Amino acid sequence: MKWGIKPVLVLLLTVLTGRFSVMGAAQDAVDSRLKSFLPSDVRGWRAEPEDAVYDRETIFEYIDGAGEVYRAYNFRRLLSRRFVRDGRPDLVADLFDMGASYDAFGVFSNDLEGEEAGLGQGSTYNGGLLAFWKDRYFVSLSADRETEETKAALFSLGRSIAASIEQEGPKPPLLTRLPPEFAEAKAVRYLHNHIILNRHFFVSHDDILGLGRADGAVLSKPGKKGERGVLLLVEYPTAKTASDAYADFLKIYMPDAKEPGSVQTEDKTWTATTLRGKLLAVVFHAPSEAAAKDVLSRIKSGVT
Amino acid sequence: MAKKIITRRDFLRAAAVTPLAGAIGCCCTGTAAVAPKPVAGSGQGVATLQSVSRASRVVLVRDENAVTAGRTFNAEVIQKMLDDAVMALFGEKSPAAAWKKIVKPEDTVGIKTNAWRQLPTGKEVEDAIKKRVLEAGVPAEKVAVADRGVLNNPIFQNATVLINARPARVHYWSGLGSCVKNYIQFVPKPSEYHNDACADLATIWNLPLVKDKTKLNIQVMLTPLFHNIGPSGFNEKYLWPYNGLIVGQDVVAVDTMAYRVIQAKRKQFFNEDQALETSAHHIALADTRHKLGTSDPGKIDLIKLGWTGEILI
Repeated sequence: MKWGIKPVLVLLLTVLTGRFSVMGAAQDAVDSRLKSFLPSDVRGWRAEPEDAVYDRETIFEYIDGAGEVYRAYNFRRLLSRRFVRDGRPDLVADLFDMGASYDAFGVFSNDLEGEEAGLGQGSTYNGGLLAFWKDRYFVSLSADRETEETKAALFSLGRSIAASIEQEGPKPPLLTRLPPEFAEAKAVRYLHNHIILNRHFFVSHDDILGLGRADGAVLSKPGKKGERGVLLLVEYPTAKTASDAYADFLKIYMPDAKEPGSVQTEDKTWTATTLRGKLLAVVFHAPSEAAAKDVLSRIKSGVT
Repeated sequence: MAKKIITRRDFLRAAAVTPLAGAIGCCCTGTAAVAPKPVAGSGQGVATLQSVSRASRVVLVRDENAVTAGRTFNAEVIQKMLDDAVMALFGEKSPAAAWKKIVKPEDTVGIKTNAWRQLPTGKEVEDAIKKRVLEAGVPAEKVAVADRGVLNNPIFQNATVLINARPARVHYWSGLGSCVKNYIQFVPKPSEYHNDACADLATIWNLPLVKDKTKLNIQVMLTPLFHNIGPSGFNEKYLWPYNGLIVGQDVVAVDTMAYRVIQAKRKQFFNEDQALETSAHHIALADTRHKLGTSDPGKIDLIKLGWTGEILI
């Protein structure tokens, strides 16, 4: 049977139109769900008539290059609502759908500075910025200028949003493998790429650990500057990927190691690494070789 | 030849030799130890012209009355600061003579500003620039001030001269909101320049729309932001009234000096050398990798004018 060009085009158009309308409907559902979490007023502030919605491409129109942070955690959608009140600083509610709770936790773990705010599954308040995560959502609430009144309003807003998000989501299982002294909440970051890693602990401008190929990584830096050691766990999809990353790290980071996997660095501290199936672990900044190896030996077993 | 991979070990090695050089995440190349030192001028806490060399000349001009309560900018003072800066930069005795070296009546001039809501360039700064451009003979219809939308703005599309003015602030993804970075709006897809903390932002300056057109860069240091929390966070407590402008033709040199002020403020505030949360290495790479300008403070001819209180560098 020979088809003419016209029927083919019509069929193609029908399929594409259908596909886009399904995608559009799905997007509308996401946006409606995000909107449903946000109140229309809070303590005398009223929502502006129009919300702003951003996706992975348009987020730069809203937060400039820093939008990459959310993209690094597989961000899907952002709903931004501004609240205004005469003579008072504006409030802004940014509600991010991160797609998965691991990533909502991850993006939250990027900035842990501030006081615990008692909201959602983890929260901080710092100088006019209230942030928390719950389930697959990351929430950032801010005031144009911090006053006692705006602080109270932000907390009211936060409580309202947290209550609207009905369920909680799991944290990345990789966190359960940390030895106790590396497991404190304020020390732990979950991440997917080396640029985020470098924000917290510079390793290399290049992705020498192959984080771009990994399933996820956990960085723990207890103490103000990691003076108690810094532990990085990276989980790869296969043992072969992990093994390749391990070999690269040995070659690039510790070519002068007297024994494979352990080296005293120029600041007189020790860096050591080990491979366990799909898991690669590196401890930096340990006071001695024995201390570094002790940390590595106490990494808990997991299903990898 | 294989590309040299920079790791933490390289910084630790450098720090073991010269502690200042090893600051992890630093932006600048070369010899920090030989950077120009602040030298007060002849009287009353006022710094004056100290050099006439033209190589990567940068002018830091300050006036303690530039910013008043409530972050209000004093337009008159800012106009004078800009005039003093361009006169020193070009070695001229009047603003008119200096601006003749920046624009000609037949030019089309785009003033690239920055509209970030919490800390914009400021209308007073934009107006001060525009006033002198108009006085230099450029017709009003051939001058535009814009940030977002420059790609579709006919004045910027046809510009023969660009003037680049933005406020200095720490930046979550690039370390510093630099004058180099201010041209990100000249590309249709900014995310293509975000890799490795915006390491190669300087390549934007090679695009036909902007290449060789920038005659003046102004880092607005009136109320710089030296610390921040979160990608979109902003807190007024991390602003301070530095009351300055850093002005130059070498964009990398201008950014290098702004970075040094910000770092000095962080040291003062945190009581220790605290590296930026994200390395601002795009500034050094603009020099070493892309040859856009000079990031070695020892090779920058810094002229300080005006108020010297809390000058920091």
